[in-house]
Formats: sequence, C-alpha cells, structure tokens
Amino acid sequence: MLLDLILLAPFAAALVGGLLYLYDPQARREKIYSIIALTPVLLGAVLSLVIGWSFIFGETTHIESTLFEWLHVGDLRIALTLSVDRLSMVMLFFVTFVGALIHIYSAGYMSGDSGYGKFFAYLNLFMASMLLLILADNPVIMFIGWELVGLCSYLLIGFYYREEAAIPAANKAFIVNRIGDFVFIMGVALLFVTVGVNGFGFTAIEASITKIDTAMLSLIGLLLFVGAMGKSAQIPLYVWLPDAMAGPTPVSALIHAATMVTAGVYMVARFDFLYSRIPGVGEFIAVIGIASALLAAVIASYQSDIKKILAYSTVSQLGYMFAAVGVGAYSAGLFHVFTHAFFKALLFLGAGAIIIALSHEQNIFRMGGLRKDSRLLYYTMLIATFSIAGIPPFAGFFSKDAILVSLLSTGHYTLWSLATFGVFLTSYYMFRLFFAVFHARSYGFRVLKPLPLTMTVPLVVLAVGTATLGLLGVGGTFGNFLGLADIHAEADHTIEYLLAIFNLFVVAAGAGLAYRLFAQEAEPPNEESRVRRLLVHKFYIDEIYGYVFVKPLYFIASFTGNLIDHKVLGRMILLGVEGYRRAGEGFGKLQNGRVRFYTLYMLVGISYISYYLLSILGGI
Amino acid sequence: MGQHLLSMIVFLPLFGALVMALGRSGLRLLRTGTLAISAVTTLLSFTLAFLFTADGSMQFVRKVPWISNYGITYYLGVDLISLVLLLVIAVLMPLLYLYMHEEKRKGFWYSMLLLQSGVSGVILSLDAILFYLFWEMMLLPVFLMIGRYGAGERSYNVMQLLLMTLLGSLTMLYAILYMGYRFYSISGHWSYAVEDLAKLRFESETDILLAAGFLLAFVIKIPLVGFHTWMAPAYGSAPTPAVVILSAVMAKLGVYGIWRFGFSLFGDTLTLYAPGIIALSLFGLLYYTLRAISQDGLREMFAFASGAHLSMITLGLLLANIYAWSGSLYFIATHAFSSAGMFLMLGLLYRRSGTFAISELGGIAQRAPKFAFFFIFFALSVAGLPGTGGFVSELLIIIGAFKSNLWIGVFAAMSMVAAVLYLFTMSRKVLFGESSEATERFDDLSPLETTILVPLVLLLLAMGIFPSLFMSIFDTQLSIMLDAFREGVA
Repeated sequence: MLLDLILLAPFAAALVGGLLYLYDPQARREKIYSIIALTPVLLGAVLSLVIGWSFIFGETTHIESTLFEWLHVGDLRIALTLSVDRLSMVMLFFVTFVGALIHIYSAGYMSGDSGYGKFFAYLNLFMASMLLLILADNPVIMFIGWELVGLCSYLLIGFYYREEAAIPAANKAFIVNRIGDFVFIMGVALLFVTVGVNGFGFTAIEASITKIDTAMLSLIGLLLFVGAMGKSAQIPLYVWLPDAMAGPTPVSALIHAATMVTAGVYMVARFDFLYSRIPGVGEFIAVIGIASALLAAVIASYQSDIKKILAYSTVSQLGYMFAAVGVGAYSAGLFHVFTHAFFKALLFLGAGAIIIALSHEQNIFRMGGLRKDSRLLYYTMLIATFSIAGIPPFAGFFSKDAILVSLLSTGHYTLWSLATFGVFLTSYYMFRLFFAVFHARSYGFRVLKPLPLTMTVPLVVLAVGTATLGLLGVGGTFGNFLGLADIHAEADHTIEYLLAIFNLFVVAAGAGLAYRLFAQEAEPPNEESRVRRLLVHKFYIDEIYGYVFVKPLYFIASFTGNLIDHKVLGRMILLGVEGYRRAGEGFGKLQNGRVRFYTLYMLVGISYISYYLLSILGGI
Repeated sequence: MGQHLLSMIVFLPLFGALVMALGRSGLRLLRTGTLAISAVTTLLSFTLAFLFTADGSMQFVRKVPWISNYGITYYLGVDLISLVLLLVIAVLMPLLYLYMHEEKRKGFWYSMLLLQSGVSGVILSLDAILFYLFWEMMLLPVFLMIGRYGAGERSYNVMQLLLMTLLGSLTMLYAILYMGYRFYSISGHWSYAVEDLAKLRFESETDILLAAGFLLAFVIKIPLVGFHTWMAPAYGSAPTPAVVILSAVMAKLGVYGIWRFGFSLFGDTLTLYAPGIIALSLFGLLYYTLRAISQDGLREMFAFASGAHLSMITLGLLLANIYAWSGSLYFIATHAFSSAGMFLMLGLLYRRSGTFAISELGGIAQRAPKFAFFFIFFALSVAGLPGTGGFVSELLIIIGAFKSNLWIGVFAAMSMVAAVLYLFTMSRKVLFGESSEATERFDDLSPLETTILVPLVLLLLAMGIFPSLFMSIFDTQLSIMLDAFREGVA
C-alpha cells in the first residue's frame, strides 16, 4: 500500500500537472504547479523513511505489492509487482530524499521560467519512472522504468529548446541510450528464453540460474552490461552525458548525477547472482570502469565549463563504481553510488546557485574570488569538494577507500594503481575548479543575486548529509546491511589503514598542484601544444564518432536508396513495362490489314492444329 | 440479428453511399450521413467484440449459396485475427471522417465509404472467390483517391501501385481457380470455402506454385522489401485519410492473408517459404530504416517506417510461436493506431504549412505547443517507447525471435533502435530549429483536431500500460491456432 503510493503519487502528479500545463501553456501559476509537484515527492521521502525504519530497526527484510498483471503470453508472466529488499531500500531512500531536496531547490531555481509547469510534470514523471526502475521485481518492468527515465532525460535536456545546443544534446542522449537499451533487451529476451519458464522475477531467475551454461550466461551478462554502459555513461557510450548539461542545472543534479546514471550500477548489483558466476565478464566491466574513470578525469582536468567538469567527474566516479561491482565488491560499489548521490547533487546544486547568482556564467575562469561574496556557497562547495576528493571524514572518502581496498585485496594491482592515479586526478580537477571559482583573483565588481530559501536549505541539508553519511560505512555496516553476493577477499586491517594514509597523500598532491596553479591567478587552459589541444577538445571523440558512425550511416542510407530502389528495382519495372510495349508493337505489325498475311496466319494455324490432333490420335 | 451482424458491418457503408449518391444528397447531408453510418458500424463492431467468445472457433458465420453452379458462396465469419482488424477499422474510420470534416469533394466521401466496405469484406470473407472480389473492390477507391484527389505525380504513382497489386491479385486468382477446380475434380462438387480448400493435398511442385500465387499478392500488399517500389510514391501522393488506411489497414491485409490462407492452405509448403520470408523481413527492417533516414519528405519517411514495422509483423507471423504471434497480432493494432496518429499529424501539418518537406519546416514547438506534444507522442509511439502499445508488440516479437534462433533475435532487436535513428533528427528540424516561411503562421490544434487525436493517444497508452487487458484472450486463441498449424505440418 505504502509502496503503491510512493510510485503512483508522482505519476498522478505528472499527469495532473502536465494536463494543466497543456490546457493553457501560457498561464502563470507557479504556486499550484509547485504544490502539485512537491507533495508526492515529499510524501515519497517520508514513506521511504518509514519503510527504512522498519528495515533497520524492525524485522522486515522484504516488502512486496502487486498492482496488476501486466502481460501474460505463453510462459511469459509479467506482473507489475513492486518489491523492496535491502538493495532497493537503499536506492529508494536516497532517490526519494535527494529527489525531494532537488524538487524544493527547483521550485526556486526555475521561478520565472515560462515552462515551469512543464518542467515539474517532467520531473515528477522522472521520479515515478526511476522508482519503477528500482522497485521492479522483474527485468521487464525494470526495463520499462529504464527506458522511461531515458525519455524524461531526453525531455529535460531539451527543455531549453530555443537554445542551440539543447535539442541536439537531447537527441544524442536518447539515441545513445537507445543503442545501449536495444542490446540490453537482447539480454533480457535471452534470459527469458533460457530460464523464463519458471517465472521471470529476480528471485525466480536466481533460483534457476544454474541451468544456464557459462557461455550463454556470459553473453547475457555482457548484453545487459552494454545497456548499463549507455545509461551510466561508460566508454564507449559516455559521449551523451557531457552534452546533457544543456538541461537545467537541477536536472543535471538529479538525473545526470545522483540517480538515473547510477541505474547501470544498480542493475549489475541487482543481478549480483548472475555476475558473480561469470568473473570474466566482471573483469571486463572493471576494466571499462577504470578506463572510463581515467579518461573522464583527464578530460575534466582541461575543461572550463563548470557543469562540463562536473559531468566528466560523474563519468569518472561511475567508472569507480563499475570497477567495484566488476571485481565482485557489490556493496563497495553501491556505497559509492549512495555517497556520490549526496556529494554530486550538492556540487551541482552549488554550481547551479553560482550560475544563477552570476547571471548564467558557466566558465570557471570568469568567476574568481567568490569566497568573499557568499560564505554559504563557499563552505557547502568545500564540503562537497573534500568529499569527492576523498578527504575524511566526508562521505566520499569512505566509499572510495572501500573501492580501492577491494581492488587491491582481489589482486587487481594494475587496476588499483590506475585507480589511485585517478584519485590524484580527481583531487586535482576538483580543487582546480574550487580554487578558480572561490580563490582566484576576482573579476571586478559584481552584485550577486540573492538566493531564495528554497535553494539554500537543500544545499545545507545535502552538505550535512555529505559530511556525515560516510560514517555508515565504518566497519562494513553498510555492506552487511545490503547482504549482496560480495566476493570474499578480506584485507589486513593494517594494510587498509596504510592504504588510506597513502591515498590521503595522493589527494594532497593533487590538491596542492591545483593550489599552486589556480589559487591566485586562474588561467584557462591554452591550446598552444598539440597535446593540450587534444585534451581541451576531449580527444575529438565526438568528431571521431561523427566520421566513423554517423556520416557513413547517412551515406549508406542515400547510397542504398539510389542503388537498389532506383537503379535495380526501378529499372526492372521499367524493363517490364518496356517489354510489354515492345511486344504490343510487335503484335501490332502482324495486324497489317493485308489479306495474304491473314491467309498465311490461317494456314499456320490450321497446320498446327492438324499436327496436334494427329499427334493425339496417334497418327504420327 | 446475430447472423446478420457481419453483413451489416460490411455493407452498411456501401449501402449508405449508394443511397446518398442516388438521392443526390448535399455535402452537409453527406457528411452527417457518413458520420452516422460510421458510428453505427463502429457500435456494431464493438457489439460483436462484446459477444465474441474466445474458444478458437469461427463465429457469427453466415454462409448462403451465391453462384451455386460453381459453388461460390456468400460466406462470412470472424475469428480473433479478423476481430482485431475489424476493431482497428471501427476505431479509425469515425476519426478519419471527423478529420475529413472540411472535405468538399463528394467523390472523396463516397470513395472512403466504399473503401470501408471493401476492407471489412476482405477481413470477414471465408470464401476464396468472395475474398478475391473484396480484395479487388478495395483497390478501386484507392485508385480514385490517389488518381483524382492525390498530389504530385499522382497518375504515374497510382499506375505503379495498380500494376503491382493487380499482378499479385492475378496470380492469386489463378491459384484460387485452380484449387477450386481441383476440389471439384476430387469431390465432384464445386467449393471455394477456405476449410474445403484446406483439405486439398497437392504434389509438392504444384503446392509451391499455388502458394507462390497467394504469397505474391500478399507480399506486394504488405509490402516486403523488393516488392515495395509502389509504396513510398503512393504514400506521398495519396490524401491523408487514404494514407492512413493504406498504412493502418490495407498493409495489414497482406499479413492477414498469409495468416488466413497461407497457414491454413499451405502448412507444409509455407514452412518451405518461411526462411525466405523471414530473411526478407529482417532485411526489410534494416533496408526500410536506411531508406527512411535519407528521406526529406515526411510522408515518404513514415511510409518506410511503416514498411519496417510491417516487416516486423510479418517476421513475427512466420516465426510461428506463441510470443511472436501474440506480438504480431498486437502490433497489427498498435501500429495501426500509432501510424494513423502520425499520418494524421502530418496531414494537420500540411494544412497549416502547405508542405511535407522536412527542409522547409521548423520552429513549430514555439508556436504550437499542443501540436508539438502530440507530434512527439506519436513519434515516440512509432519508436515503440515503453508505455505505448508498440513496445509490448516489439518485445514479444523479439522474444519470439530469440526463441527460434539467436541470430534472428539479434536482427529483430534492432527494430528497437531503428526508428530513433531518423525520428529525432526529423523532429529536431521540424518542431524545433529555426521557424521558416512555411511555419510563419502556425495555429495550434483546434478542439476538433484534439478530439480526433486524443482517442488514439489514450488507446496507445492503455495498450502499453495494461496489455493484459487487451491480450487476455490472445493466449488461448492463438495456442489453438498454432496447434492446428503444427498438426497440419506434422
């Protein structure tokens, strides 16, 4: 009952708000829209706290609620069943909580926008879809949520459709995600064909997973992971996420940082029973994760747009999460999903506040010296930066540390050292951003627009969360609560502590370098050397994709059209028509009006008939 | 009442058209009369659906001798598959007549009524000759609507359509006549009833030829790739209501034909053709998608989109397992509604801007937010987004494809990504982007236009959110039919 409400309330709100907006798009009624939109998400946050309470302090381990039977064909029985176990409980908690805060923030941020009603209808629809993804008890319903969050992402990236970059970015997001999704659905279909006979819920699949041979299982695992590559922006499908920053900043915070993009990690953790049987694929996932983490971190170090930097850092942090779930440390990965939701949302909301306060300036090298202008922004952003860089006692330290420990203790030394280099880069580009924005020489006199309470309160609440929630991970509390099929590789505690201290040095090195370069005079990266140009232009990946995939597609499209349709088939039909015409002309010549020709035809005819009759009668 | 229900559904539009033509009724009367007729027909079809019992049998059968010397009967009946098609017509026709509200050419109204009778007749006929007659009858109004009321190179385009479909129906007629003759020579009396012809057994060469005769008619109508050259030009020239019927109903009649005649008459031989048709469908899916990408004309683009989806439907049909069949049958309905919605949007777009060319459009979203909303919705439903019926259909066909073969599954799954490759680039140009001369003045949807589109939106959503509500009778019905087919083969 509670569960149904958590899911259906935002759906209903999206419907009501959307219809109200469609009824009269010009009308200004921000109050009504914000009440419609905020009620269900606040309710959802409260309800998930209630459910969380019964999980943590009560005996509850599983809640289920079936809404209706969705589809029944042959052995395929899919019900719309919502289910909460400990894994989805954690997801549910931070999605509703961070979601509610970002909704509140948006009420202030979007104020005055003509699409206010539309924005909240989309945002509610997103919340509902995300919850559907999390609460689904089978892969098909999960996929529906998976696609619907993609739709909302598309709609919200394209929200400022009058701006040049918005619609191409939205299209790119949708198409790249769809490419991942169609591979994902192959995995789901194969999974059904192999074990779906005995029911297709996650528990039923887990029960019969042993019936699938390893080769098929690896194929399924790979196909599903390709879907995750799209949704969670990993190599080679990460290209949509940086562009997605064209959407409103609260959207970047909610969808493109805290919640939707972590769906891929959640999916892998949800299928922990599957992936723990195919360590080879897990290895691949971990490699992709670390590669994405490094590539994105390198690119982030050379960007100037505050949202782009944060977007690349999201790709990078997601890479860490995949590295963890790839080597079988599911709880470590999930813990990073959890803490990341708080500190990354905080970073984005802070960035949004800065952007608004500076009248839509996004270049960090034109900000400078903000420390004196807003203490609140300075300290909240400082907490977030500490957290993502991995400085104790802030949340990111604990989760990132857990990932590094798991890489090391499972014997992935190369991945571990690369990941550690990534920690250095993370610290460098985040402090680069921080110093450039808050410390560097100020750009003359300016008046900051005052921030409304709806924007400052979420910042403070998130900052408190970022500062404290990491403690949940101390002593493995978080992991024990989740109870996932983690790989058993205990590291010596001494090594763990040594590692933590070593990481702190790495972080300090990154931060120190950033301080030297950007704390006084922040200069944008120049493009003088070839290497630098390559980095500023993000390795020209977008251009390469354009030449390798998009252009050839259009070329083949017009080429096949001209060749097959016009040259081959068109000509065949023309030949047919021509032949028919020729034949007509030919026969026309026979009918020339001369009697002696007609007599000839008769003669030929009669001889043939006589011959035929005689042959039948057996005369010849 | 019960036994005349089907006859009324088939002949009411034709009869109404005759009465109104003979009475030389004015335009207003014609419009009201047509709406009334379609409303009654729709009600009758819904009644039929309500009275329909899901036991796998032919129902509401009406069989009376017609040309008794040659055993030709007036023989109608309805089963699950024809019921689905009939309901599609029942939903679409009133909406189309509403859309034609301002149509002033009387012949156009008569053509539409005639067309409605024709397609309903094809769907319900159980006598091969009767089927053939309706099959040809529905061609006439299409010929008129494109040839007289169409646009562009209409006479050339309609000629191409006519020649190709006539070629197909001619081979089908030969096959039908030969089978009837064989039935006569074996049993001593004439019959063209489907169940009688199904009893015939031929030596395999003959069977292959006969099956080819039927299949040619059907694959041209669908059309599968290679038989499709008439499609894009005809869609481009035809007036909007005709395009809607072409894509939403008539294309499906090809699929229906394979279902009704292919499976029951040629069980063994069809399995011989199946790999070829499956390959053609899969190739068509890719090929039509590529062709759609390079179109500048919106209607040509969606003609190819429609071709790709019909390839999927045909694929599902030939895979012959419960998932693929359920998916195909469901797709027949969901594709009808989404493509009807899309082509209606294009019609409304043309009324406002006077062009179908993507390159001449732009910036509509700012001027007409409601229009943009519906446009995006139908585009997404064409792309098979979850929440719309198209997703359920594609999902089932993909599962069915994997059930039969890994590689078929992989190719079939591409349909999930196919449509988004062109839909989004197109809508970016048409809805957003710079506004153009053509879209300078672009009114938003009127209440009447919204009324026409809303039922389609609701249906597509309902079919996507509660598929089990619609498909509850699919499972048993299709299992029975599948078993019958498998027994026939074995």
